[in-house]
Amino acid sequence: MGVRLVLVVALALGAGALALDMSGSAQRLAGTDHTAPISFVATLHAGQELCQPGMVLPGEVQSVQVLVGTYGPPVPELTDRFVEAGGRVLAAGRLPAGAKQGNVTIPISHVHGGSASGTLCIAVKGGKTTVLGGNAFTAGPASEQVAGVPRPGRITVVYLRPGRESWWRLLPTLSERFGLGKATFFGDWTLAAAALALLGVWIATARLLWRELS
Amino acid sequence: MKKPLAAWRRIPRAGRACLLIAFVNAAVWGVVVPPFQAPDEIAHFGYAQYLAQTGKAPSQGPGAQYSPQEQAALENMYFFEVIGHPGERGVLTRTEDSALRAALVGKNPLGEGGVSSVTNQPPLYYALEAIPYWLSPSHEILNRLVFMRLLSALLSACTVLVVFMFLRELLPGSPWAWTVGALVVAFQPMVDFIAAGVQGDNLLYLASALTFLLLLRAYRRGLTMRRAVAIGAVVAVGTLAKLTFIALLPGIALALLLLAWRAMPAGRAQALRALGTAVAIAAVPVLIYGLLNLTLWHRGTITAGGVAGATNSSLPGGGSISPRETLDYTWELYLPRLWFMHHAYFTSYPLIAIWLNESVGHFGWLDYNFPAWVYQDAHKIFYVLAVLALIGVVRARAKVRPLLPIFACFAVMAVGLLGAIGYAGIRYQLNNGTQFVQARYLFPLLVFYGLLMVMAARGVGRRWAPALGGALVVLAMVHGLFAETLTISRYYG
Repeated sequence: MGVRLVLVVALALGAGALALDMSGSAQRLAGTDHTAPISFVATLHAGQELCQPGMVLPGEVQSVQVLVGTYGPPVPELTDRFVEAGGRVLAAGRLPAGAKQGNVTIPISHVHGGSASGTLCIAVKGGKTTVLGGNAFTAGPASEQVAGVPRPGRITVVYLRPGRESWWRLLPTLSERFGLGKATFFGDWTLAAAALALLGVWIATARLLWRELS
Repeated sequence: MKKPLAAWRRIPRAGRACLLIAFVNAAVWGVVVPPFQAPDEIAHFGYAQYLAQTGKAPSQGPGAQYSPQEQAALENMYFFEVIGHPGERGVLTRTEDSALRAALVGKNPLGEGGVSSVTNQPPLYYALEAIPYWLSPSHEILNRLVFMRLLSALLSACTVLVVFMFLRELLPGSPWAWTVGALVVAFQPMVDFIAAGVQGDNLLYLASALTFLLLLRAYRRGLTMRRAVAIGAVVAVGTLAKLTFIALLPGIALALLLLAWRAMPAGRAQALRALGTAVAIAAVPVLIYGLLNLTLWHRGTITAGGVAGATNSSLPGGGSISPRETLDYTWELYLPRLWFMHHAYFTSYPLIAIWLNESVGHFGWLDYNFPAWVYQDAHKIFYVLAVLALIGVVRARAKVRPLLPIFACFAVMAVGLLGAIGYAGIRYQLNNGTQFVQARYLFPLLVFYGLLMVMAARGVGRRWAPALGGALVVLAMVHGLFAETLTISRYYG
């Protein structure tokens, strides 16, 4: 009896802790440009625009986060736009002046939906000198370009999803991501299948303990 | 076919259940962890792919480490950007996924066998991995990886079964303890993280666990010719799995001498024949491997540089590492630094910072952890369990006493492993400036982790031991589950 009671209580506590953990809300990631912020790699003066090719704009994106340094003063007004190969602007946004230097989030409205390839441009509308964080990269067609000139580096870009979401709410997105970048026979179903298999493992273990320990 | 089936049926039902539970659990881990994100998986896969494609171990020349196919997969999954950067993600969008698929088309799976962190290891695990590599119905690299990972999951599940059998041999009167000990290992998240990937350590853990089991069995039941053959075969497997196994050999040799000595009264010639058979069966495959290294495979030395790489005492700036420094380092790696040890090799106490914390969880390419409070709470739980385990051992002293000689041999094996980690660790640390040691290096001793948990449960007394054992298994399950959700948030969140 004691064993069974302990098992039931422990399993219930475990399941409860999982439910609680999954309910925590936060702003979630939509994607990144796969560039780690190692150092400041771009310097922009008032009115200049940095464009970075080879970018993928995730579908459900509401804002773009970049590492901005101003050497003290508030961050000047920043604008962003995402341009596809044909020159059409797929998404754009603006952050008014006044943000604190560091990780700065610039809104971006993505009206066409779905992930897309193209170029992300960030323009500085004022201030003296603004630097952006990123990583070293050979200057060329794939590197960042400031005022149309290729520069050695690529800036770090983090795409954020709208609002704050719990893991429960993010599950459909997680399911989609879980099937990507893996075996070709994996897909949106894989996370659910893995969860079911794990549930099976838990049930089998509980039954085994029930039988062997009682 | 009848013999394996009969052997399978001889395993208690609970043991078979533990094996299946461990296999499915590890297989789920293999799906959760993105391709190549298990420790050193890129190098292990590279070795296995080269061996599968050529039938030879890598020659370790100056050529590329990975095949063009693997290199393309790594680059287009943003592998090198993700490792070490917990804020980074791999493929998260369908656009990136399409680019990955396009990049893999027509890429050559044949590499150049260039030197990597694992190419100086023996080829047994990689030869086994060649089987799922070729059995995979698709030749797409990521599809093959799934099947290869399943072999690791199977090896890990077999290790869990061996833990079960070890505890059965040790504690025949406590069937609950066999299940509890096996399942706490099955759900240990760091064990599962290794089991999730193409990783040679999985065969090392299995061979080590089997060695402890077979030595214990031979001690309790006598050294028959059959058991001697089994011990020799498992020692050969371990040595050909990973060179770390060499650290266990002095203890194994001592155990074999003990077993032969105990068998003498029944027949001196028979005992010596069994001893010789075990040694010969262990040595012959290893010697053949050494000869292949020197001749057909052109790998330089008899161990392909594996031993020399870990034991080189020279420092880049001149000078060498002294035996005293090695002893100090090895001591400090496990125990508090003493007053006469002037060199502090660690900024924090390794027993806590490495062995305990990393066992709780230090995942990926050592780039993500649980929140700090988890480790603090885990310390408290561990201290309580350690005290309970001590009480459990004291309570079982009458049963333990007759086993002291073989446990002394096990202690020599364990000390050999700890010493080897220290010996290689100081050389790596002083040559590269980074820490070498990881908690998983102790996993060849997994049978004793299972035993520790069982002893802790027994520490509360006969009546409540199964209940605490059950609670410990559920704790391990929850620990594993949260490690998986942490992994999902790290790579997909």
